[in-house]
Amino acid sequence: MTTATQDMSAGDTATSLPRLLPRGGQLAEDWHTHTARHGRLPYRERPGDLVRDLNAAGLTGRGGAAFPVARKLSAVLDAAAKRRRAPVVVANGAESEPASDKDATLLWLAPHLVLDGLQLMAEAAGAQAAILYFHTDRRNDVGRRLRQAVAERAAVVADRVAVQLAEAPPRFLSGQETALISHLAGGPAIPTFVPPRITERGLDGAPTLVQNVETLAHVALIARHGPAWFRQVGTKTEPGSMLCTIRRADGAVRITEVPLGMPLKSLIASPDGQSLGPDRALLVGGYHGTWVPAAAASRLTLDNHSLGAIGARVGAGILVTPPPDRCGLVETAAVVRYLALESAGQCGPCLNGLPRIAAGLTELATGRPRRQTQADIERWAGQVTGRGACHHPDGTARFVRSALITFAAEVDRHNQGRCSGTNKKPFLPIPHGSARTEEDWL
Amino acid sequence: MSGINTSTALWYASRATGVVALLLMTAVVLLGLLVTRQGRLPGLPGFAVTGLHRNLSLIAVVFVALHVLTAIADGYVNIPLTAAVVPLASPYERLWIGLGAVSLDISIAVIVTSLVRRHLSRGLWRAVHLLAYASWPVAWLHSITSATDVRHGALLVLSVGCAVVVVAGVGWRLAAAASDLPRAERVAHLMSAVHHPMSAMHQRAADRTSRP
Repeated sequence: MTTATQDMSAGDTATSLPRLLPRGGQLAEDWHTHTARHGRLPYRERPGDLVRDLNAAGLTGRGGAAFPVARKLSAVLDAAAKRRRAPVVVANGAESEPASDKDATLLWLAPHLVLDGLQLMAEAAGAQAAILYFHTDRRNDVGRRLRQAVAERAAVVADRVAVQLAEAPPRFLSGQETALISHLAGGPAIPTFVPPRITERGLDGAPTLVQNVETLAHVALIARHGPAWFRQVGTKTEPGSMLCTIRRADGAVRITEVPLGMPLKSLIASPDGQSLGPDRALLVGGYHGTWVPAAAASRLTLDNHSLGAIGARVGAGILVTPPPDRCGLVETAAVVRYLALESAGQCGPCLNGLPRIAAGLTELATGRPRRQTQADIERWAGQVTGRGACHHPDGTARFVRSALITFAAEVDRHNQGRCSGTNKKPFLPIPHGSARTEEDWL
Repeated sequence: MSGINTSTALWYASRATGVVALLLMTAVVLLGLLVTRQGRLPGLPGFAVTGLHRNLSLIAVVFVALHVLTAIADGYVNIPLTAAVVPLASPYERLWIGLGAVSLDISIAVIVTSLVRRHLSRGLWRAVHLLAYASWPVAWLHSITSATDVRHGALLVLSVGCAVVVVAGVGWRLAAAASDLPRAERVAHLMSAVHHPMSAMHQRAADRTSRP
């Protein structure tokens, strides 16, 4: 555990964190340790109760979009009643941001909490089918852990709805809701146009409720302890806690659960309490996120109200501080090249725009930019925004724009043929291998 | 040929609206082909091509309706009202008028499914819309067979001209589709093109993406 979260949790056991991850160590919870800590899952029998509790708790989706969970559940219930079709519930563990590792860590350490949440959500939605969708290309063999967990639950007949496990292809977009539906239906994991909304017409035309795995783990605890307990941490408008992936400059990666509204300063401080130099930068929210100058970050807190003021969002809780020997433009160019290669290639603005933006940034990063390169990148970023079936071009454009603003001084240096980076080894993690054929999307 | 008087007015009106309807339907088919490739017309934004395709199709319906109603109202030949939509129901030029009815039926299906497209699945709408490729040739055959005056002179040139441009348009559409890269290969292809600044590909990609 971290110094930061221990400070917050000192004393009061009701508000103590972590709530989701095992306490004191990296030992995974099996069915026995899980039930010893949390107790059996509390089925409600009356589905309406959970909607009311989730609404009172103010829980929002932890996959990045922060959409109110109760409202999404209500939309699915309405569609199911109107069309007389039983809904499908999907736990989305396909965290595609390469810089994030919180969902994989949660599934590895506390799979039963997620599966509890999935059962309760299936009960609340009146679903006949539940699916858990996850990535396999991670450090730990999450698939094996999940199969084991499902078997443990089957042995004690804990589940009312059978859970099906599904593996996501290693693509950036595979966790996007409509891409997920397309993949589960046997097609490639590429986004489709909305409408129809998947809450109305999703998997095989059934109303479909997709929730991030961390969101479901929170649901499992709200069902046990109630909305007031959930609100004991966090802010009034953004209650609760969330899992964060924090990548420090020294290369250390830690997954930690923090209350919303926590000062960024305390999250990104190095172990000896040293805060970030004012000329440095912080990446908030991953590769669809925002570069924030350290000077600005020191005044911000981890919630959308605070971050929204500078155009940033909490997203899936990714905070990265590259070391001082790396050039922010070089890092950004490498990431945007990856994002461009991960375009599904179906919408013109994304297909044509992102490779151009990536090439422009590479030109800027390698220190031999033409005079109009920066203006070109800014223009293209504006032209791709809001014009895709999904938000891939929008998120990429936001990331690029924030880099040009945050690293403005570095852009000037590059225009003069200089670069402040002394270490060319990329710091931000980039998966290797891009899609070459249709098979790579299946 | 006699001039226009009370007994020939309907006959002339039917011929004239038929010719205009054929021209409009030809334009609609060409615009539809352009829409499927996200093509542009000079001076028009992308959405206007789709809008023109849709609006011209509705105007074409008006002319087809006038064409059919005047032909039925014209007492010189006996075409019952049912023959407008039921194939082979006309005693006069049974087969050739029947072709017109077939084309009209298909057109109605295509237009009605487009008007209620919001409520249909994309697959169903598209399946019906593809029938437009059958509707146009049938309409053309109807015009060339049932009207003796289309078999020579300016109207023959016009009809053959319509057929030539539609065949050329469909040929262009098929050739464009054949030269498409599979979806999954497009991104990597464009990436390698824009990352080699000296190549001609770079310039072409830049031209294309200057308006992505």
